[in-house]
Amino acid sequence: MHTQLDSRRRFDIRILFFYSMMVILLGVLATHILHLQWVEHQKLAQQADRNRINIVPLLPVRGEIIDSKGRPLAMNRIAYQVMMIPERVENIDHSLQQLSGALKWRPAKLTHVRERVRRSRPDRPVLLDDKLKWDQVAPIAARLHHQGGIDVQVGTYRYYPYAETMSHLIGYLSLARSYDVQAGYLSTEFIGRTGIEHSFESTLHGQLGAQQEEVDAHGRRISVLERTAPEMGKQLQLTINAKIQQAAAKALGKRTGAVVVMDVQSGAVIALLSKPGYNTNRFITGLETKQWQAWLNDPRKPLLNRATQAAYPPASTFKLVSGLAGLRQRAALATGTTTCEGAVELADRKLRCWKRKGHKKLGMHRALVESCDVYFYELGDQLGMASISDEAERWGLGQKTGIALSPESRGTIPTHQPNMMEAIRQAGAHKRMKWFRGETMITAIGQGTLTVTPLQMARLATAVANGGRVLKPKLIVGAETRVLHQVDVQEDDLQRIRDAMFDVVNTPHGTAYWPMRGLPWKAAGKTGTAQVIAMSQDDDEQKAAPEYDRHKDHAWFMGYAPFEQPKIAFAVFVEHGGHGGSAAAPVAAAVIRAAVAEGLGESSLQIASGGKKP
Amino acid sequence: MKVLRQLDWLLLASLLGLAAIGLITLYAAVHQGDIGLWQRQVIFWLIGLAVFAGLCFIPLRVLGLVCWPVYVLALLMLLLVPFVGDVQMGARRWLNLGIVHLQPSELMKWALMFVLANWFATREANQTAHLFTALILAVLPAGLIILQPDLGTTMVLLFAATAMVIAAGLPWRWFGYAVAAALAAAPLLWHFMHAYQKQRVMTFLDPQSDPLGAGYHVIQSTIAIGSGGLFGKGFLQGTQARLHFLPEQHTDFIFSVLAEEGGFIAVGLLLFLYGTLITRIIMIAGRAHSRFASLICIGVASIFMLYITVNIGMVSGLLPVVGVPLPFISYGGSALVTMLAAMGLVMRVAIESQGRIAWQRPGSALV
Repeated sequence: MHTQLDSRRRFDIRILFFYSMMVILLGVLATHILHLQWVEHQKLAQQADRNRINIVPLLPVRGEIIDSKGRPLAMNRIAYQVMMIPERVENIDHSLQQLSGALKWRPAKLTHVRERVRRSRPDRPVLLDDKLKWDQVAPIAARLHHQGGIDVQVGTYRYYPYAETMSHLIGYLSLARSYDVQAGYLSTEFIGRTGIEHSFESTLHGQLGAQQEEVDAHGRRISVLERTAPEMGKQLQLTINAKIQQAAAKALGKRTGAVVVMDVQSGAVIALLSKPGYNTNRFITGLETKQWQAWLNDPRKPLLNRATQAAYPPASTFKLVSGLAGLRQRAALATGTTTCEGAVELADRKLRCWKRKGHKKLGMHRALVESCDVYFYELGDQLGMASISDEAERWGLGQKTGIALSPESRGTIPTHQPNMMEAIRQAGAHKRMKWFRGETMITAIGQGTLTVTPLQMARLATAVANGGRVLKPKLIVGAETRVLHQVDVQEDDLQRIRDAMFDVVNTPHGTAYWPMRGLPWKAAGKTGTAQVIAMSQDDDEQKAAPEYDRHKDHAWFMGYAPFEQPKIAFAVFVEHGGHGGSAAAPVAAAVIRAAVAEGLGESSLQIASGGKKP
Repeated sequence: MKVLRQLDWLLLASLLGLAAIGLITLYAAVHQGDIGLWQRQVIFWLIGLAVFAGLCFIPLRVLGLVCWPVYVLALLMLLLVPFVGDVQMGARRWLNLGIVHLQPSELMKWALMFVLANWFATREANQTAHLFTALILAVLPAGLIILQPDLGTTMVLLFAATAMVIAAGLPWRWFGYAVAAALAAAPLLWHFMHAYQKQRVMTFLDPQSDPLGAGYHVIQSTIAIGSGGLFGKGFLQGTQARLHFLPEQHTDFIFSVLAEEGGFIAVGLLLFLYGTLITRIIMIAGRAHSRFASLICIGVASIFMLYITVNIGMVSGLLPVVGVPLPFISYGGSALVTMLAAMGLVMRVAIESQGRIAWQRPGSALV
């Protein structure tokens, strides 16, 4: 009985124990939940909102680019894009497989996209495919509510009506890369990489908008809570005239080269062509590596902008600079005459004139018109390297023009080349004199180490026509005209050069007479034929292409028109084109005809500063 | 009717209150998806209440007779599971009996509790021999279940057995030794755990370590509970629930739906009803007419308390994730019917004890 009572008492205590346990456990639970719902409430409520509210960026439409007459050069076309937010997709591989089937991707594209998704931030939309038509995306859009994290959006893509002709000038876009994303771009945004698209990226790009959406745990959109519309990029009107550029491209045909046309008074660039071009429309969907490699390895270097990024020996077109130097220095030969017997002897070297039998007795005027080399060898010898280099620099050679297209080559003026100065210093005094004389003499005819870009030559022509104003080339309508430098040249001296340039084009003896006959405008110009044999830096690459005639001379023609009231200045460069008169001048003739057809002579003020002689 | 007069009305009232909260919460959890689940749960309630009512008429000594054969049967089924069981979610736990999929471990939980109650009905738990038998009875099924593997049920089983032994008079000293031994064995247990079990424990210790994987559930349910605040977001207004951020929101994680939409008011009401229910069960245990009846009530109360604590502790981030339903609230027919059956037994104890003296309490007043 005693043990029984004991047992009962013990059990009563145990019941009390269980009751206390219950009170304690329920108390702990209640306290913990109260803590979450009271103390932590604000923080957790914010997290709940962050869970459900998804901020979707709205991409702005890029500003269009038009030419001076309002023709579109870069426009936007409507298309559909497929995007993915990786972290909201349950099975990325499976989804990509499905999309690949629906959109008929090639295996390479699928691999490319998969890699892209793998490398992207999982919480940001990744562009999978774009430039799609509605009937392509319709099946995907219909299934969308089953596939969280995948979205079809209406978007625009860039279209270039003059893709090949304007490739270097307008440039192209490509999707933001990881460093762009670090700089604040979204990985779905397109960014200008070259040309105008690159230089005026901030103007053209526009402002992002955003949309606050309520999404469920699978990332499916339930409703739109708030929306800030994106701001379209600004339209950009270029001083370029598409018709003139096209005419230049047509005249160059399949040849390699560059054409730059500028407004004589304002420095506005009317055409800036580099051949061969490449199809910039192919960049938009994400260029395939194969095509890119093909362009990179093409011996004709289609990606190079020959108008601004490449420098070549100016050849005889440089003679007008040598002539101006001679007139400035009042060199004996500048006003006197010499006799060309087809070559000049210099110690062990023999410097030839292009005309083997010689020009006989002649002064500067005829030396320019008929492009006599011997006259300029001797003039150069009288002037010395420094005078020639200084004159070249005065007229804007050997320095960047400051055009809004980067990168830009500055070209080379011999005395400004550190290597050369070092070589001169190291050579012995006697040897130095002999060698340096020869170098000076060939520089005077635009050969040797002297190189210029076609844009620099067009600007030189502009300055000759407008009385020595070296202008900053401008591309945008409404941009300020900037005179970088006024050359202190005597008007009489300049006029002598202009008159010679007139006769180059307008007298039967002139090197550009035949191709330039019968134009609506009287033009002035100077031909150039650059010897290529001396050039060797490109040899290895050029050997790779047998069809590429690397032994032919480079052809130049630069000048301005109309002669009396100069309107446009131009420089034409044809790589391995042959003679300047026969290869380059006809391109200039086509440019002048197009300029007249476009009414370029009629509109602007008739500021006469270049004309005198009929 | 005599039975109606003898019913414990407070127990029944809290049970029906839980039914109301449970069905409302379940509606909120499934109203966007399969509303059929809610309708089925209503039917489960009706079935469960019928079982509950039926058990009110069956004398307790019948249970004393059948509990041993049921225990042996459950043990045999557990032995069969490794050979013929269905594999679900990586573990072999289910037996396909043609009509129903049965989880022998679920049956064993209750069978073990009854068998221990019966064993200690005439014995005190302060004798080594008695305790040793109890240990064998518990360890046999526990060993089989942990091999399935099902850590959660094993722990529930061992916990229920411990509760029974404590109720049966286990000296505290021995309890202390057992706890010390368990702590010492923990590293060994860790060694034998499956990767997913280790993962769960690790995730519990630091949910943010794997926010999109195993920790996701707990993070999201904690956000749901906290964002509900004191007054809740309103019926059907919980964004976490509505937008499917909650996993298993109609079964194991249903508490977070209630907490998000009903706030602390609903949570408080739920805990109050649980408290009332368990208090009633313990009181019935205290005045039961036999030691067997008392021990059964203590066992039922313990299992309930364990479920409530583990479930709410789990969804609010206090305890590791163990698949345990929230009694009367979570969707699920077999769990609900089983719990109502247990309630039926407790009710039967209350009915049988009416007008009788509590066991071994000479001269005590009639309660």
